[in-house]
Amino acid sequence: MDCREFCDQHLAFVDDTLAGIELVRMQRHLAECESCARQDAKIRRALLLFKNLPSIEPSADFSHRLEARLRECHDEQLASAQRNLRFGAFAATLASLVMLGYIATTLYDHASVPSDLVMAPVVATVPEAELTPITTPAPAIVASVSAGLTIWPAALFAEQVPVRFAHSKLELANYTR
Amino acid sequence: MADIVRKQVVSVEGLTVRERLQAMDDSAVVTAFLGGEERAFSELVTRYQTRLLNFVYRTIGDREKAEDLVQEVFIRVYRHLHRFDRSKKFSTWVYTIASNLAKNELRNRSRNPLVLFQTVQKNFQDEDRPLQFEDTTSRPDDMYRKRHLREIVEESVAKLPEHHRNVFILRELEGKSYEEIAEITECNLGTVKSRLNRARNSFAEIIAPYVD
Repeated sequence: MDCREFCDQHLAFVDDTLAGIELVRMQRHLAECESCARQDAKIRRALLLFKNLPSIEPSADFSHRLEARLRECHDEQLASAQRNLRFGAFAATLASLVMLGYIATTLYDHASVPSDLVMAPVVATVPEAELTPITTPAPAIVASVSAGLTIWPAALFAEQVPVRFAHSKLELANYTR
Repeated sequence: MADIVRKQVVSVEGLTVRERLQAMDDSAVVTAFLGGEERAFSELVTRYQTRLLNFVYRTIGDREKAEDLVQEVFIRVYRHLHRFDRSKKFSTWVYTIASNLAKNELRNRSRNPLVLFQTVQKNFQDEDRPLQFEDTTSRPDDMYRKRHLREIVEESVAKLPEHHRNVFILRELEGKSYEEIAEITECNLGTVKSRLNRARNSFAEIIAPYVD
C-alpha cells in the first residue's frame, strides 16, 4: 500500500468500516510510514477534541417560549379549521339553495306547459254586429267631394269615400269585418 | 380524591402516558401525536431539543440565534407533521429542517454585516463572564485552559467551509451515518464522503498549531 491509497482509505479507517484485509494493510502501512502515522494521529486527536466539546443545554425559558409559540400555532390552526368549516357550510347552503331553485323552476315549467296537450276543436263564432245606418249630416256635400270641391278634410272620409260615393244611403253591412 | 385522580392518570399497564411515550420509538410517538395525543409532541421536543441546539449552534456559532432556530424547527414540525412521510426516519426529517434553517441563517448573515457584528459582540460578552461560572470544582488556570481550548476548537470548526462544516458536525457530533447525512444535506454518498474527508483534514490542520 502506498501513501495515496492510505489517504483514500483513511475515512473508512477512522470510522472503522474497512473490511478485514484492508484494515490489516492500513495498519501495516501505518507501522511502516512515519508521515502517514503522524497525519493519522493528528486527525484522530483533532476529532477527539471536537467530540469532547461540552454539550450546550437549552436556556431556562426555552420550554416556556416554545410552549407559547406552539399554543399560538395550535390556535391558528383551530381558527383556520373553523374558517374552512364556515366557508364549507356557506358553500353547501348556497349550493342547496341553487339546487332547490332549479328543482322548483323545473317543476313549475312541467306544470304550466305540458308537452303533449291535446285540446278539443273549438268553433269560434263572431256575434253579428248590429247594423247601423250611416248617417251623414250632408250627403250632398260629401258627394260633391269627387267634384273637386274640398269642403271637408279628405282624410276624414278616406275609407268611406268609395262606399259613400256609390250610394249615400248605403247601409254598412260588413264594414266592421 | 387524590387517589381517584392518580388512578385516572395511571394507565392499565401501570405506566403513565408520559412513561409509555418515553418507551416508544420516534415513529410510534409521531403516530400517537397524529392520533390526537398532544403530549407526544412534548416527548419529541424533549428528545431532540438539546441535540438540535448543539447541531445548530456548532453550525452557526450563535447561541441565542440557535435557540430561535430550534424553536422554529419544532414549530415547523408541529405544523407539517401530518405531511411527514412515515416510511422515513423522523430524526432525518428533523435534522433536514434544522440544516436548511441553519444554511439560510448563514446565507442571510453573509448578506447582512450587522448580524456579524452582533455575533462578535456576543462572543465578547461571553468572554466577560466570570470564570467561576465555568466549573467551580476546577482550579482557575485549568478552567482558563479548558475554556481557551474550547474556544479554539469552536473557532476552528467555524473556519471550515459551510458545506464541509455541516457534514462534519452531522458525522462527528451527531453520529449520523453517511446515508443519513446524504439525505439531510441532499447530496450523494460520494460527495458526503469526499466532504467529510476534506473537513477532517482541514480541521486537523487548522487546530494543529494550537494543540501541538
